Amino acid sequence: METLLWQVEQLAGLLAVSRSGQVRDWDPPTLDRALQWGRYFQHLHGRFRAHPRLRAALGQRLRRGQQGPPLGFGHLGRCPELLGLALLGNRALPPAACHRLLRSLLLPPSDQATPGPCSLSLLARRRAAAQLLLPPSPAQARPEELEQEQSLRTEAQLLLSRLQEDEEEEQGPAGVLEDLPRPRVYWVLAALLLEQAGDNAGREGASWAEHREGPRPAAAVLSWLLGDPGRLSVFCRLLPGSLLVALSARYPQLGTPYLHLLTSWGSRLRYDPLSGQWASSRCPSEDELSWEELRERFSCFMRGPAPLREAALASLKNLKIQDGDFEVCGLSVWTDLLLEMDFRALRAGLSII
Amino acid sequence: MAQHTAVPKLSFQYWLDKAVEWGQTTTLESQQDVCLQLPKLQEFLQQIYESLKHMNSTTALQRFPLIGQLLGRLCWNPFVVGYDESQKTLMWCLCYLYSNEPQNPVELKANSWILSLLCHLLSSSEWGANKVGTGTFISALGYTSADYYSKLVKNIVLSLVTELKGNQFNGLNVQGRVSDDRVNVVSLFCVPLITLPDVTPLLEALLTYHGGGSQEVLSSEFLEAVNETFLKKKIALSESAILSLWLRHLPSLEKATLHLFARLISTQTSSLEEVACIIKESLLPQAACHPPIFRIVDEIFKNALMETGGTPEVMTIIQVFTQCFIQAHQKDNKQHKFPLKAYFPHQQQHLVIALLKHPFDLPATLWSQHLKYITDMLKAIIEDKSIRSYTDLFESWFLFVHFGEWADIAVEQLLKSEDESSDTLLWLLAFYYNPHSDKEQRTQILVEARAVYDRLMMLFSCTTLSITDLQAAASTKTDKRQPCTKHLVRHLLISFLLFSSGGHKIAQEFISHVILASNTTNEVFGLLIRTAYRFNQLGIKNERIVKLVNELLQELRFMD
Repeated sequence: METLLWQVEQLAGLLAVSRSGQVRDWDPPTLDRALQWGRYFQHLHGRFRAHPRLRAALGQRLRRGQQGPPLGFGHLGRCPELLGLALLGNRALPPAACHRLLRSLLLPPSDQATPGPCSLSLLARRRAAAQLLLPPSPAQARPEELEQEQSLRTEAQLLLSRLQEDEEEEQGPAGVLEDLPRPRVYWVLAALLLEQAGDNAGREGASWAEHREGPRPAAAVLSWLLGDPGRLSVFCRLLPGSLLVALSARYPQLGTPYLHLLTSWGSRLRYDPLSGQWASSRCPSEDELSWEELRERFSCFMRGPAPLREAALASLKNLKIQDGDFEVCGLSVWTDLLLEMDFRALRAGLSII
Repeated sequence: MAQHTAVPKLSFQYWLDKAVEWGQTTTLESQQDVCLQLPKLQEFLQQIYESLKHMNSTTALQRFPLIGQLLGRLCWNPFVVGYDESQKTLMWCLCYLYSNEPQNPVELKANSWILSLLCHLLSSSEWGANKVGTGTFISALGYTSADYYSKLVKNIVLSLVTELKGNQFNGLNVQGRVSDDRVNVVSLFCVPLITLPDVTPLLEALLTYHGGGSQEVLSSEFLEAVNETFLKKKIALSESAILSLWLRHLPSLEKATLHLFARLISTQTSSLEEVACIIKESLLPQAACHPPIFRIVDEIFKNALMETGGTPEVMTIIQVFTQCFIQAHQKDNKQHKFPLKAYFPHQQQHLVIALLKHPFDLPATLWSQHLKYITDMLKAIIEDKSIRSYTDLFESWFLFVHFGEWADIAVEQLLKSEDESSDTLLWLLAFYYNPHSDKEQRTQILVEARAVYDRLMMLFSCTTLSITDLQAAASTKTDKRQPCTKHLVRHLLISFLLFSSGGHKIAQEFISHVILASNTTNEVFGLLIRTAYRFNQLGIKNERIVKLVNELLQELRFMD
């Protein structure tokens, strides 16, 4: 068992070396050994997948003493592809070893049933398929957005897989989420939460707790987000108002903190009588919101479902009263906001008072 | 393995020019051209690969100096990379061109170029340089581009399917959602991807998509390619999708029918159950429940029958197809089902209804009567002066051929039941084997048939017979006998062997000495498998006769 654990610990090193310049000393036999290790790790994955305790033990050993993104049991299963693709992209690999790599990775196997060749040609084919099917006709606007949308959705699904894998090893999401590149991780998390919300809507047999808080990975991700005010602040600042309102509609535990954030950002605005506008008090930093943006975000609330709309209105009215309940512009940012919301509602044919 | 002849330089230049052309223009025409050329290109690449396998990289570059350009351009064309197995062949060629001991800067550069091309195909190192940061994200998660693209394609397909289906809400074409042009382009771009399993839901959605207009909105390259792939069994689609395809694209239906026909003729089947199985697999009987499709398939069969001069094999195929079709029709529980007689609109309805009754729908005692009923109607049609035209005659005969099991029953009744209906039955058989005869010819055939029949009936109750007795009974005084009469006589003979006690004993001997010596094994084989099939359907378990049929079949197969 100890041998096994020791072996598994080598995975991190192997992957790190395959991406580094150390491979310039590799000759074909070394490469063969590396690929063999890859297949061996995959074999281990297959053997121990159904044994939770052994899996947990292996996973734990994999994460020991790791900097950077943590490894998981799943890495063992994907090792041949991880290794192969990393080596392929590594320019330091000498020609002889590279030659051997190409033969092992890409050419049809003579007798062994290695998964490499099949899955990699499928990869090439799928990539071409994505290129063919993705771009819409020129008439349709926003082709990049469409691509971005599909990308994010896919990354969210992979993130979900990883979180579920980790959950089986009793690892919380924090380990993985901490090390993912910012700010992209926030976009992906939003996509993940949206997708989970959609999935859960029609799912029967989900527990009441799940219905209230969302399914487990989503709940875990949310608590991670909400756990750190700085994190939440970046999240809310980065994502557009419409997206945040959509998420708040589904995850009430997000709505209230978001509203708080908006109000705290809003209270930093000062009225500039010379220009007749609300502006931020100091030089703009990440946390500073402009008047236009504040107004835009609140109007997203107004367009949202009734509970959110009412909560936002109630909070605005409260703040207006706290500020002195003025009806005149320029004295309280909340008064002005309410007037704007009113104006927009009138334009839209609604009445909100 | 055969020595591979050189890949002709001419075709190399041709494909290079094509690759340049495709890379320069992105018009619909050039894209259509790519789609049409994909199969041939794949073959060509396969040839190159086979040549490269036996060379080292230096020789290869000397032999094919332009290969770098060609492969480079093709690898950047998603149509080529996405097609069938082309991406494999491209990567294999690149592997063989990679030198493990580069001797000079040129080879080093070539190596580097090959690697960058492979990385591009597999999204390996430009992965991290991806402008939206997907690569870094996925790597940090511990996944590879393989995982990413696998899910991405599924997501894209799902969103396209939703888009297509959403456009058909309540059958109205919701304005502004999906334009016909877009659907056309999507269908064209799917052509290379037809055999990719992830894309099957999109294929189905496209095939069952109906835009607002009356023009066909799917590209014809797409429809043809789907049909070809389906016929080669490289893809499995739902019945409704295939039906949609055939309803909207006539050439596909024709090709599918001819393909089935060719398959049935060329495959050595040992039983009609096998034939029925092949027919059902083709999905044509099910599709034929749509009257327009039935008419077209029927027309093709009719032409085949005329071109082959009415050979028994073709007649049997038509008969089995009709039975499969009727089964499919009965299983079909759509509300707007057409009654069976609607599929034969130009025929006398009474005749159609009579023929639609299968022997197992009637008790055996009523078979003679039913046959007489059918014959009377046919006679009335043939002898009716007012509608006497060759086409009508042929059509009535063709209709009868669909239900050829009644002819087999007629022979059986002739031999087994002793009543005065023998005249009627002989007329029916003469008609079955020779429709286009005038009255004189038919009388001639009848006379001969009657003579043979009478002689056979005299031998029917004999317990011991010899082959010569039978041959004498079947022989003719005149030298020349029409082929159709020969078919009829053979049918009587073989049935005699099966149904008479004397015949039983000499059956095997007769087969081995007489039939095998003549040119008629195929025909007799056909008769016997039809008998076996019929016994099976009617649930005839008479052990002796079933056993005999099987033994005779064995003998014929063995000798073949």
